[in-house]
Amino acid sequence: MTAMDKIDLFIIEKLTEDARTSFRKIAEELDLSPDTVINRYVALQEKGVIRGSTVVINPKKIGYPAMAVFMIGTSPIHVLANETIPVDSSLILDALIKMRNIIVATKTVGDHDLLAIGVIMGFEHLINVRNEIAKIPSVKDLEVSFWTEKTELCPKYFVI
Amino acid sequence: MSAQAKIDEIDINIIRALQKDARTNFVDIAKKCGVSTDTISKRFKKIRRAGVARGTTVLLNPKSFGYDCVASFGIRVEYSHVGEVVEFVERMPDVVFCTSSMGRHNIFAIAVVKNVGKLSQLKESIKGHPMVREIATSIWVNEILLCPENFEFEHLKTK
Repeated sequence: MTAMDKIDLFIIEKLTEDARTSFRKIAEELDLSPDTVINRYVALQEKGVIRGSTVVINPKKIGYPAMAVFMIGTSPIHVLANETIPVDSSLILDALIKMRNIIVATKTVGDHDLLAIGVIMGFEHLINVRNEIAKIPSVKDLEVSFWTEKTELCPKYFVI
Repeated sequence: MSAQAKIDEIDINIIRALQKDARTNFVDIAKKCGVSTDTISKRFKKIRRAGVARGTTVLLNPKSFGYDCVASFGIRVEYSHVGEVVEFVERMPDVVFCTSSMGRHNIFAIAVVKNVGKLSQLKESIKGHPMVREIATSIWVNEILLCPENFEFEHLKTK
């Protein structure tokens, strides 16, 4: 938890609705100086409350009618040139992030070891993405679920 | 299925710049594209009207608001009741995404909760629905990486 007051929360609310809202406009609404609002914004970034800002894209409008979740299990050890080394799932995570069309990737605890969510152009594309993930060293199990109904993940505290 | 929007190099430059930082000054994007600031501002309006961009927002850290745990659920339910269970799960507090899906599970959901205790309560509530057959829970570990810039636009370019 980070300590925040009404001013901080007001700034966050305004920027969540529209990240391009001018600091001058927010300042007017708060009856404060634009500098105060800018300082608050910078402080919220420094405290890690605001990680950044982005434009929310509707994947359906740019040729991605579907989304898929890839649930990945890793092999406990990796055999390389007769040497067995423990698997570092960070390496798999790095490979996932670099993949095109993967928009979320995380290590997980529970049902599987890593999870990735991707935007999908069609059935053939889905199979290609799956094959590409399967090729990452140490990926042992790979299960997929996909959907077409909701392709926008952008709830309040969790924007993609 | 919604119609695909027509997008050109300038539009892509705008989207790419705003994906990294939604507050990027249009003056800077204009300079990069070699067009006027007015053009960029008109193009951004066009992208929004076309529904390609729904808007801009800040990325918040759930932990700063006391939400320490992000998790996903893969849920298997009786086939004829998928829609009903989706509505049931969607209405649960802290569930931020829920959809019917094909593949291993027929429902996939994401929740942002205050702690593991709350996650367990949420799981039990979902399990409480009589049509739920199986639920697989995964807690997302710290390194949740959002990489929206991985969208490809190249296939949309109009020559």
